[in-house]
Amino acid sequence: MSIISVQDVSFAYNDDHESLKNISFSIEKGEWIAILGHNGSGKSTLAKAMVGLIEPQVGEIFIDSVKLNEETSYDLRKKVGIVFQNPDNQFVGVTVRDDIAFGMENLSIPREEMLERIQFYADKVEMGAYLDKQASNLSGGQKQRVAIAGILAMRSDILIFDEATSMLDPYTRNDILEYMKSLNKEGFTVIMITHDVNEAIQADRIMIMNQGRIIAFDKTEEILKNQKLFIENHLELPIALEIALKIDKSEYRDKIWEYALKK
Amino acid sequence: MNSIIIGQYIPGKGFLYRLDPRTKMISIIFLMVSVFLLQNVYQLFIAFGIGILVLLFGRISLLKVIKGLKPIFLLLIFTFIFQIALNKSGDVVSDTTMHINLYSIGAVVLAFVIWRILVRFNKLKMLLFLVFVVGIYFIFRYITYSPDFYSFQFTIYEKGLEMSAFVVVRLLIIITLTTILTLTTKPTDLTQGMESLLHPLKKIGFNSEEFALIISISLRYIPTIFDEAQKIMLAQASRGADFSEGKLKDKLKQIVSLLVPMFIIAFIRSEELADAMESRNFVPGQKRTRINILTFSIVDVYTFVFTLLCFAGAIVAKVVL
Ligand SMILES: Nc1ncnc2c1ncn2[C@@H]1O[C@H](COP(=O)(O)OP(=O)(O)O)[C@@H](O)[C@H]1O
Ligand SMILES: [Mg+2]
Repeated sequence: MSIISVQDVSFAYNDDHESLKNISFSIEKGEWIAILGHNGSGKSTLAKAMVGLIEPQVGEIFIDSVKLNEETSYDLRKKVGIVFQNPDNQFVGVTVRDDIAFGMENLSIPREEMLERIQFYADKVEMGAYLDKQASNLSGGQKQRVAIAGILAMRSDILIFDEATSMLDPYTRNDILEYMKSLNKEGFTVIMITHDVNEAIQADRIMIMNQGRIIAFDKTEEILKNQKLFIENHLELPIALEIALKIDKSEYRDKIWEYALKK
Repeated sequence: MNSIIIGQYIPGKGFLYRLDPRTKMISIIFLMVSVFLLQNVYQLFIAFGIGILVLLFGRISLLKVIKGLKPIFLLLIFTFIFQIALNKSGDVVSDTTMHINLYSIGAVVLAFVIWRILVRFNKLKMLLFLVFVVGIYFIFRYITYSPDFYSFQFTIYEKGLEMSAFVVVRLLIIITLTTILTLTTKPTDLTQGMESLLHPLKKIGFNSEEFALIISISLRYIPTIFDEAQKIMLAQASRGADFSEGKLKDKLKQIVSLLVPMFIIAFIRSEELADAMESRNFVPGQKRTRINILTFSIVDVYTFVFTLLCFAGAIVAKVVL
């Protein structure tokens, strides 16, 4: 059984405009998925639907074979953790310790257990020495790492990153990407939402969204073969493809592209 | 850009830091009531002495407490002067003629200039102001070398002196007490102490946990919002806005240009924060465990005993003396 299965979901914030249109897909346990789309294509809306923050008007979502609805959303949210874009708008606690604890406090986990998990997961994201630091003394990347520790401490095994790196500098961005990679290796299911093609190509599979629809959802190599997909959906091109296209002689262009893909 | 510190908390050691915030809050309420029970200035002086001892024992630098008095320093001085000038009962303590003449006015201006210059290079601003005020008194009293424009009798009565000392010392003690609390207690601990003390109000429908959560989120976001205001101001300034000068109308315009983006950002922020909280299984009113807990220790017991002794002392002073 798929760990996430979305079946014919449509959603509109208000009547005149649908932000998700007939979305269907499934994700297997342990996969690393990238959801790629330009601004306003419906990626965040889809993410919110998958953690039950919004309820689609049409269609069904199954997490671990349990249908997501008002009654089950509380329990299913334990399985799905989400890290949002703005580091500042998801840091709830005053200190790092408080923030990592927040989700566990809500789950009524005993204090001793919380203290253990906090130390463990803070160490894991290399924030173990900062437990008493306040949010205003942390960098954006550090805050995102705290957010990751917060959802790991809740023992979520599906991790959604909604443009979690887009407000960070390139160096820190790579850092967070490395965390995603290693968490995925450990067995977590990782869903990485991004508008950055170069980030997306690290994933196993890429879903391209445009205007609330899934345009393509396939293995990364397959997606990369189809150059038109990027251009038609207003996405930046992968650097290698961009270089390839700059080269006039088509024989060379295709060779360079093929070479980049192999790499 | 994280220069904003909320509250006056200064990290330190000493028993006052180890006390449970609830102990501090309850004790301070009782001590304040005790202070208001006291009858005359001599009892207040004793209380003041005890207060100083507590500060020394708690290893709190007096300088920091004095700094905490800064906002009400002017109030203290004017209260003192008014009481002395207006209360005309009891024996006459001193009766002097004040001379307002060319020289004395010149001397006051000179003193003012010297005071302003010293203030720029000196840390003891309050002390300098005090010296300046007292200086004015002596200038008008003793400079008599030229014909007066105007002169008047400045009479200090015993009761006036006593009352002014009474009011000022009482205010001083009260402010010192609250300063001790804010100086030695983290805002988060204060919030949590308050939550715990207000917990019984649940019966009348007041949810102290939610109240505390709101306060702690506010504490969390005050620095962020200030930083943001600064950034927006910089952005506006780079487009030619000037927040410090201009006519009232221009100023209002600039304030609006600051407030509008701040409100929009705050609105988005609150939506996102609510999403983040909900996605981490927050449900309002639901029971939750706590990472930060308050515990009483033996020091708290001593403190309560001390407080009760002070309180009993004040009651005895009120009833017997
Ligand atoms: N809270 C909201 N209320 C109304 N419309 C919204 C809201 N959030 C997003 N939308 C609209 O839904 C569409 C998809 O937005 P979103 O899912 O945020 O896209 P993405 O995350 O891909 O940038 C956009 O047209 C956006 O304007
Ligand atoms: Mg988005």
